[in-house]
Amino acid sequence: MLGSDGPDDDWVRRAQAGDREAFSELVRRHQDRVFRYLLRMLGSHEDALELTQDAFIKAWQALPQWQPEAQFRTWLFRIANNTALDALRRRKLVEFVPLENSFDTPSSEPDPERQAQATQEVRQLEANMKKLAPEHRQILLLREVEEMTYEEIGRVLSLSEGTVKSRLARARAALIEIYARSRP
Amino acid sequence: MSPEEKCPRSEALSALVDNELLEPDRGALATHVTGCPICAPVLAEFKQLRDSFVALPEVAAGVDIASLVDRRIAAIAGIAKPQSRPQRWRWWQVGPAALGGALSLSLGVYLGSALMLGSQVTAQPAALQMAAFTAIPPGALCPVLQACNSMGH
Ligand SMILES: [Zn+2]
Repeated sequence: MLGSDGPDDDWVRRAQAGDREAFSELVRRHQDRVFRYLLRMLGSHEDALELTQDAFIKAWQALPQWQPEAQFRTWLFRIANNTALDALRRRKLVEFVPLENSFDTPSSEPDPERQAQATQEVRQLEANMKKLAPEHRQILLLREVEEMTYEEIGRVLSLSEGTVKSRLARARAALIEIYARSRP
Repeated sequence: MSPEEKCPRSEALSALVDNELLEPDRGALATHVTGCPICAPVLAEFKQLRDSFVALPEVAAGVDIASLVDRRIAAIAGIAKPQSRPQRWRWWQVGPAALGGALSLSLGVYLGSALMLGSQVTAQPAALQMAAFTAIPPGALCPVLQACNSMGH
């Protein structure tokens, strides 16, 4: 059996065969990342918690269609992303709610002034991210937070790498423009 | 004019920040940027934007999602895995139609509560001053192609 940091594929195959414990292992491996993504897409802790579960349940139901060539993480994020977009459409939740835990700072940070400035920058970023179109928010999160390559982002969003490249540039330009506009 | 002398688009600069350009494009662009007064600040802004994401705090659900998901899968599948059939259902005490009705009802309640959760609104923090991302005005990413092209390298 693979260690907890081994590849997903064996667990996916077992889960495909109906092994719920194997699927639980996959959930444990990916739940924090999926939750983080959905939280930053939707802005609400409660929504993100519900939709993270929804995404995994959809993944469980879609497992028969999973192909070994597909990286489980990008396959899962594709489902999570669709779940987020469905929720945004359904609830018309275009407003991004500032994150509940975003002002917690690590106790190891010794300099209060620097800490305050970092917090301010985080608040500014979160406030500005909520003003972005969802298609720009999602691609920036996949790149900057999930650290996916253009190829991986393309698989998640069903886009060519060329489109990923141009959309990321537009998303960055849009966010920079929001920063400029929010300047007093 | 050689390709290296063409003013790069913000797209290429964005890809440079992402380390998604292949040689020789990457090297040529990196060289160009050091001498181009239009591209250099754009690249700096893209890099600053990237750094701001690094400052985002880690977030965690704080609950064991795996067990919640497994419970819901068990409830949906029900009979799919005989050895893990939830005992609390006591299906022998109710008819199949009643059981179906109960499931539909609880799903409705669940969906209803999920819809409610979307409605919370939190006040925005007051506008905060930040000197970042101001070197180039909106929509002016490498705007004057001619000026950039004529720089020469
Ligand atoms: Zn230039």
